[in-house]
Amino acid sequence: MSMQTTGATATMRATGKPAKKKSSGRLMILGFLSPTLLILIFMVAYPIFSLVFYSFHNFSALRPNAGMTPAGFDNYSYLLSDPDLWQRFVFTGKFVFLCVTLQMIIGIFVGYQLQKSFRGRDVIFTLLMMPMMLSPVVVGFLWRYMLNSEWGIVNYMLTLVGIGKVDWLGQTDAALWAAAAADTWMWTPFIILLATAAFRGIPETIYEAAEVDGASQAYVFFRITLPMSAPVLFIALILRLIDSFKQYDLFFALTGGGPGSSTETVSFAVAKTAFNYFYTGEASALAVILLCIIIGLSLILVRHLMKLGERY
Amino acid sequence: MTKAQTDSVQKLTQWILIVLLAAYTFYNLGPIFWLIISSLKSRADLFAMPPVWFFEPDLSGYQQVFGVGAAAESASAYGVLDSLISSIVVSTVGTALAVILGTMGGYVCSRFNFTGKNDFLFFVLSTRMLPPVAVLVFYHLMFARLGLADTRTGLVLVAVFANVGLATWIMKGFFDGVPKEIEQIALVSGYTRLYAFFRLVLPMVKGGIAATAGFCFIFAWNEFAFASILTTTKAKTLPVKISAASGATGIEWTQICAAGVVLIIPVLVFFYLIRKHLLMGMTFGVLGRR
Repeated sequence: MSMQTTGATATMRATGKPAKKKSSGRLMILGFLSPTLLILIFMVAYPIFSLVFYSFHNFSALRPNAGMTPAGFDNYSYLLSDPDLWQRFVFTGKFVFLCVTLQMIIGIFVGYQLQKSFRGRDVIFTLLMMPMMLSPVVVGFLWRYMLNSEWGIVNYMLTLVGIGKVDWLGQTDAALWAAAAADTWMWTPFIILLATAAFRGIPETIYEAAEVDGASQAYVFFRITLPMSAPVLFIALILRLIDSFKQYDLFFALTGGGPGSSTETVSFAVAKTAFNYFYTGEASALAVILLCIIIGLSLILVRHLMKLGERY
Repeated sequence: MTKAQTDSVQKLTQWILIVLLAAYTFYNLGPIFWLIISSLKSRADLFAMPPVWFFEPDLSGYQQVFGVGAAAESASAYGVLDSLISSIVVSTVGTALAVILGTMGGYVCSRFNFTGKNDFLFFVLSTRMLPPVAVLVFYHLMFARLGLADTRTGLVLVAVFANVGLATWIMKGFFDGVPKEIEQIALVSGYTRLYAFFRLVLPMVKGGIAATAGFCFIFAWNEFAFASILTTTKAKTLPVKISAASGATGIEWTQICAAGVVLIIPVLVFFYLIRKHLLMGMTFGVLGRR
């Protein structure tokens, strides 16, 4: 083997192959990336540019041939002065805050318990991961089914423990909690997954040193475990921020935006403006605002992902 | 505090922890269990209060989904079964294409340094971050113009676009785990890079490709927002179809529960297959590399 290798190296040197190798590498990059790039340009870049273009025009998808008239910043100023839109941002904000807080707290707690090895741990761990793989529409309907005020299992259990029936999906505040409970049900496993991985990555010797120093359990958790797993937990946090911020499917199935329009998220509002009212220009402007927020969060995410990728 | 007291405090915290964990496990697993039970109930048992635990299994929900038995005559021209086929076709073809593109892109990004590599990686990941409704405002028009609206081809295109970013990142993670020396030796031995890629490196990431396919399939299978707006009748996928069961006559819960179980089964099968790579798949191949 080694003789063959040296032989090949010698011929390569003789025929000057290395120079050719470099250009073949460039060809490979081009050939392997261009199909993906084409799709991305066609499906991401082009739509986003068109979206920005539409957002400055009066235009309705119902009359694509009627042409569009320039509208300047009208769509934006109309949206930003619309109290309904602000209400949607406030609702989305409340939902994101509730979801992320609940998921991080429960996820870190359960993840901390599950990092320990015990009998049957792997089976339980795998079982607990199931909800995040389900379709958000199924999750939405499932919770709508369980939360029915008349015959839902949740209200039945609440009456068993002496709490009366709650009209979960009929009141704005209760519906917010219902949606947060469904989203938390689905996505806490994700936090558990990442938290457990982060906790298990902390070297045992650090804990041993802390034990020798007589540190309390709480001290170890808050001063060692949490800070040392912060980079991974931060990524989990940003991902959940992005995903819950753009949540659409769950609300579609769970509340349908109701009661009234009180549980419409920003995504929901974009869909309604574009596909129910066909105010395409206005919907584009709203979509651009939504995109700016998501892109900002994504930039933070990717920077941290790459940093983490270098370290691990 | 005496030693006995510390011991009892420790025992108490131990018990509190166990109770809290049990409560979480109940919250986590209960709904899936309840869905499966409910899908086997008859209409009357479904709405019974208090809930019935022992009942005669009734498959009418499943019969409606598959358009067989008593529900055969009432099945519409484009029934739930057709939407199931749509879902299978779109997810399978979309997954295959996304994984092929992702494998190519992931390999190049793992092995080469070129200008704009990080920009490409961000650009490609943006497909995972983009809110579907935002691009849908445009797709809606574009698909109508190109004749792709309400076609399975159009949905395949969406499935590829929606998963290629994830596939690229996960595959990059798997390729990063393969030593670079393999290609160096191959190149030095006079083989081409293409040969090294296909014959030496690809077989080493077989498991990774399978896991990536599992993830892409699950996401394509669950996809709702795009399919709900880009289809009207002929190409509806199963998630869209079941959401339509909440129509004017109220919600068809027997049908929804059964369809929900049908939607979940393939997910659980794939989930079982990818369980070892869950961490890697959910963190874009950054964590959990082995």
